[in-house]
Amino acid sequence: MTLAHYLTVSALLFLIGIFGALTRRNIIGVLMSIELMFNAANLNLAAFDRFLHPEGAVGQTIAIFTMTVAAAEIVVGLALLLAIYRNTDTTYVEDFNLLKG
Amino acid sequence: MIEHIAFYSLSALVLLSALAVVLHRNTVHSSLFLGLSLAGVAGLFALLGADFLFAGQIMVYVSGIAVLVMFVVMLLGRASDLHLRQVNEFWMAALLICAIASAGLLKIARSYSGTLAAAAAAPSTRTIGKLFLGDYLLPFELVSLILLAALLGAVFFTHRELPEAAK
Repeated sequence: MTLAHYLTVSALLFLIGIFGALTRRNIIGVLMSIELMFNAANLNLAAFDRFLHPEGAVGQTIAIFTMTVAAAEIVVGLALLLAIYRNTDTTYVEDFNLLKG
Repeated sequence: MIEHIAFYSLSALVLLSALAVVLHRNTVHSSLFLGLSLAGVAGLFALLGADFLFAGQIMVYVSGIAVLVMFVVMLLGRASDLHLRQVNEFWMAALLICAIASAGLLKIARSYSGTLAAAAAAPSTRTIGKLFLGDYLLPFELVSLILLAALLGAVFFTHRELPEAAK
């Protein structure tokens, strides 16, 4: 297995995440796609750590920071989503137009 | 040989279930596939020799975030969602963006096609712990503050004001 294999998988995962974040109408789907993109970045960090700098494990440490921030992000995102749903009664992003003039 | 089989099957699992997350009409199924995809990424971490990341991925993502997303899906879902389109009308433009980005990303990936791992993977939990309390002490403490802020923010945003009559 070379580094290119892992980079290809994570690139494809990232692209799937981008496609989902751009096209899903449901905001929960958008949040799930963003999680896929975070995972692609983590996979990249772990692969570079393994193949290019195996001695320090710095890449894995940064991947754990990413994981923590992603957990905080999804918690706040879902809490905001609940608050928005309570006000607008919908989860579809094109209906979130309260600020439109 | 076993590594090849494990890598290709895990990659297929990750990518196919990620596609199902993005394309599936039913959001409940989508969130289940999200858990499967994240578990596949955990398997790839194990294949890379990142033991602590593997455990963290299982604990934080598969059993934390995926379950949380599933809760919210079931809280907010409606039966009428199953008959609505889940993909908006810009999917052609999104596909074009992905095609252009994939050209660049895969070109970068191809430039590393000769890079092999230098040595067998060693357990890294001890090294990560030393880095957390050594070089990365400040980010480590900041991340704990971020988690506290996220906790308080979640409570704050979901808090419902009781009407005056109910008090």
